Amino acid sequence: MPDRYFQHTFDNGLTLLGEKMPAMQSAAMTFLVPAGSSTDPIDRCGSATVLSDLILRGAGDRDSHQLSDYLDTLGLQRSSSVGIHHTRLGCAGVGPKVFESLATYADIVRRPQFPQSGFDAARDLALQALAGIDDEPRQKLMIKLREWHLPTPYGRNTMGEKDHLEKLTLGLCKVDFVERYQPRGAILALAGNIDYDAIRAEVEKHFGSWHARATEPIKLMPAPGNVRHEEQQSEQTHIGIAYPSIPETHEDYYTMRLAMEVLSGGMSGRLFTEVREKRGLVYNIWAGYSSLKGQGSVLGYAGTSNERAQATLDCFIHELYRLQEGVTLDELNRAKTGLKASTIMQGESTSARAGAIAHDFFMRGRIRTLEEIKAAIDGVSLDQVNAWLKANKPGPFTIVTVGPKELKIPV
Amino acid sequence: MPLNFQQTQLKNGLDIVAEINPDSHSVAMGLFVKTGSRDESAGVNGVSHFLEHMMFKGSEKYGWADVNRIFDEIGARYNAFTSQEMTAYYANVLPEFTERAIEHLAHLLRPAIRVEDFTTEKKVILEEIAMYLDDPGHRLYERLMEEHFGKHPLSMSVLGSAESIEKLQQPQMAEYFQRRYGPGNLVLVATGKLEFDEIVKLAEKYMGSWPRVNAPRQQPAPLYKPHRQAMTDPKLNRQYTMGMTPGPSAQDDRRFAARVLSDVVGDSEGSRFYWALVDNAIAEDAEFGFYPHDGCGSFYIALTTEPDRSEKALDIALKELERAKHDLKNDEVERAKNKIASSIVLSGEVPIGRMRSIGGQWMYNQEYRSLEKDMATLNAVTTESLRQLMVDFPFDPMTIVSLGPGEK
Repeated sequence: MPDRYFQHTFDNGLTLLGEKMPAMQSAAMTFLVPAGSSTDPIDRCGSATVLSDLILRGAGDRDSHQLSDYLDTLGLQRSSSVGIHHTRLGCAGVGPKVFESLATYADIVRRPQFPQSGFDAARDLALQALAGIDDEPRQKLMIKLREWHLPTPYGRNTMGEKDHLEKLTLGLCKVDFVERYQPRGAILALAGNIDYDAIRAEVEKHFGSWHARATEPIKLMPAPGNVRHEEQQSEQTHIGIAYPSIPETHEDYYTMRLAMEVLSGGMSGRLFTEVREKRGLVYNIWAGYSSLKGQGSVLGYAGTSNERAQATLDCFIHELYRLQEGVTLDELNRAKTGLKASTIMQGESTSARAGAIAHDFFMRGRIRTLEEIKAAIDGVSLDQVNAWLKANKPGPFTIVTVGPKELKIPV
Repeated sequence: MPLNFQQTQLKNGLDIVAEINPDSHSVAMGLFVKTGSRDESAGVNGVSHFLEHMMFKGSEKYGWADVNRIFDEIGARYNAFTSQEMTAYYANVLPEFTERAIEHLAHLLRPAIRVEDFTTEKKVILEEIAMYLDDPGHRLYERLMEEHFGKHPLSMSVLGSAESIEKLQQPQMAEYFQRRYGPGNLVLVATGKLEFDEIVKLAEKYMGSWPRVNAPRQQPAPLYKPHRQAMTDPKLNRQYTMGMTPGPSAQDDRRFAARVLSDVVGDSEGSRFYWALVDNAIAEDAEFGFYPHDGCGSFYIALTTEPDRSEKALDIALKELERAKHDLKNDEVERAKNKIASSIVLSGEVPIGRMRSIGGQWMYNQEYRSLEKDMATLNAVTTESLRQLMVDFPFDPMTIVSLGPGEK
């Protein structure tokens, strides 16, 4: 790899990734800990979410206030979230300050204080967030679409389940913490104004003795299936469509991505053109590739007023099928230009790069350079895209709607 | 890496401002127009935003399909937004597409506004309005602006209502366009990897014939009076509460202190609201922030709670504001300044972030502020300036609105 990228896996399984970005003053960190919602025990859905809050309520010898004040003194922009595979901790700021925070992030993932009052509040907040889902039908739709489309436990709501959260205790959270906050499968990625050798030494110092544990592989069960209506007296009907696609590591990955760009890349994409610009049926419509380890999906959304929902769904599905007839050279060229430009522009943001290299390593076991991505996009021909589309009929579909009236499924 | 600022004005009065960063990979260009819902009469409410959509429907030369196709051919990240006070159109492209992007932005801002396109796009606008009706936070915000600003034009909704959009006719939009869109009321902003002379040459070529407009803005003094309004919607599970009170304007030098104060009191992490309301789960969300406007400004509170906790949460939030007047500490002010300093550094690295910031500043003050100047101004903010700010703007009068399920 050129001098820009670095990668090292420590004996305990923790992988450190770096991307040096000249001319940047800032640095950004993405830390993926193997504690995603899919690792929640079957009767403790939401435990990862509560933990992701709880670990920040005091760690090492700093209590909740001191920890927060310290990170704020460094001026860091912080974030944390729970995904299907990982709990993600992120920060960005001036390069040296991000470096300085590494020791504290070691405290957070290795030595949280677990105060009882902090647990009570974290669980209460998780329950409140769950209660809010019905207030925002768009968010509810996407949660339900994943639940019905993805294999269990990937499809479970990362926010948890009410009765599970109500039964969760601090003791159980601690058990889940020990199982999952560990170096095997953890990825720490830094991008921007960084000194890689110094970072490697600092990470070795603070994470080198982090104890690894064996874990059971997740057993996947088939997705519950295919059509679902959630009745709600909303202003719009919210429509979600999903179907399986190839994993990111598949040799046809770029071919498929370019086909998806034609469908819903820029505003000249087919969905936007046909459903919104030509017919005025929607304000918001999109479809995109969504990647999980070892599998991919296409997820799509449209929101429309109730009396036009059937026409919107019919038109949406029609466009998905029409793609099989092939794309034009102009459409492919626009897709290529768009994907390449967004790849290059991603190189202007340290946060985007830290996230991207962590994602690459998890999915592929290595970092893709920006040059590699550009070359791969250029290497796809029109014949390849059209042959792939012909051989890969979209479906089987999962279709979920949230709104006052059930729709007729046109497939 | 110091960034280089350049500016000029074309013969027709078009302002061009640019910040050059040779280390960028891309160039961002935006046309910022000083027009928004506050410049509308009640009879045409929503026209600014609807017009923004119509710009993408084509010029005399191009039809709607061409507009999006051409932007996508050059791999642009492009979009537009409308607020109460400005409307902006922008494209972020690789440097080799600079000319095509400027040429195309120029087409965008000379729209044909064909009746047929107007009729189709009206449906899209109505869908956008319906979409926001499914978003309780947005519904509440619109009501808050209406209640707080009363007869002041800032009370006007950006989207308009379904009724005002249904009634709107194409000639009304064409007239609004003629009156508001021209040099004298807009600025071309370019940031990132660019040659300034080239930008000026291209602007002259594609925008040099645009007629100048004289588009004054009404600046009545707002008349605030404290009051409360409750809306109920039995479908909701949670209570949403917002408050608004006067703050410094976008022209007022105290706006920098106001930003620091917002961070100390109401940032999502580590702020006074966080510790008093979210840390203990009384509120799921508790925010205190600052909206600078043209000629006036506002502080706001936003709380999301269980319905039976909303009164308690509001009471705590108001007490926190009172307390801040008396016991601000230097270390919390310094922490907030550090966080803002990081965000200045981070946004300075991305051309599109700089374009938005410079365009916004120019709209309000015809002033360029470098990152260094922003940093120096931030450093000069002290605990004392925050205290004085709260003497000048004592969070009174306050308008409070809430939205929730009511008695169940």
